[in-house]
Amino acid sequence: MKQGLLVVLSMIALTSLCDTINQLFLKSTIDSLNFTPSLNIIKILKFIFQLISKPRLWLGFSFSLISLCVWLVVLSKADLNFAFSADSMHYIFIALASRFVLKEKMGTWRWLGTGLIVVGIVFVSLS
Amino acid sequence: MFKKKVTFKILLLLIASDILETTVHFLFKKSTLGSSQGQVTDLATATAFLKVVFSSPFLWTGLLTVAAVFIVWSMVLSKIDLSVAVPIASFSYILVPLVSIIFLHEQITALRWLGVFFVLAGVILVSLSSKERAEQAK
Repeated sequence: MKQGLLVVLSMIALTSLCDTINQLFLKSTIDSLNFTPSLNIIKILKFIFQLISKPRLWLGFSFSLISLCVWLVVLSKADLNFAFSADSMHYIFIALASRFVLKEKMGTWRWLGTGLIVVGIVFVSLS
Repeated sequence: MFKKKVTFKILLLLIASDILETTVHFLFKKSTLGSSQGQVTDLATATAFLKVVFSSPFLWTGLLTVAAVFIVWSMVLSKIDLSVAVPIASFSYILVPLVSIIFLHEQITALRWLGVFFVLAGVILVSLSSKERAEQAK
């Protein structure tokens, strides 16, 4: 396990990265539709149909399929409790992507929270 | 339009989503245990491994559970703010290690539990900060 730790961590990073790319595609597809939140079922269904007709969404889904395959390989190599905690590194990628790709503003608390997640993953990996 | 108050019904839904989420990861892990040749080293062994895993009923039950999580989670988010829902839903960070100990006989050291609590605290802070953002925008 010790020797394979780096391999497993890089694979978890890969699934997290694929998940983040999927989220970015999803977010940009949804933003392009100008949907205003509504509880009207017909409006929601129309929105979902518009959404699944966008090729960008399927591009995103293909990344989540890759992510699932890599994740299954990770689970065959590592303990579930370790993999599950380490997978929260997608919060870090999402934070960086939101800041630098989507140009969203990040508050101090959010950076602090992301930092705590990093510390947690380091502890979980060391044990 | 969103209520901040977590009613008993919403709390039940959140607990259900925690349990379902944990079940997903347990089932995924189970699906990879069936193939004992699971030492993936290159692309060829990876495809052979994935063939076995994708024919496992555990995996497909897991994927169905993903769909169930999605439905329950959407119901929760239609009622309360994300910043309120995520901290309560993060309970799965505790549930998954517990399930790993009880059903998968994995061992968890004190240092790992400490790591779990740091991750949990981080997730809660990140989700609470979305409330801070939303309130500043008003």
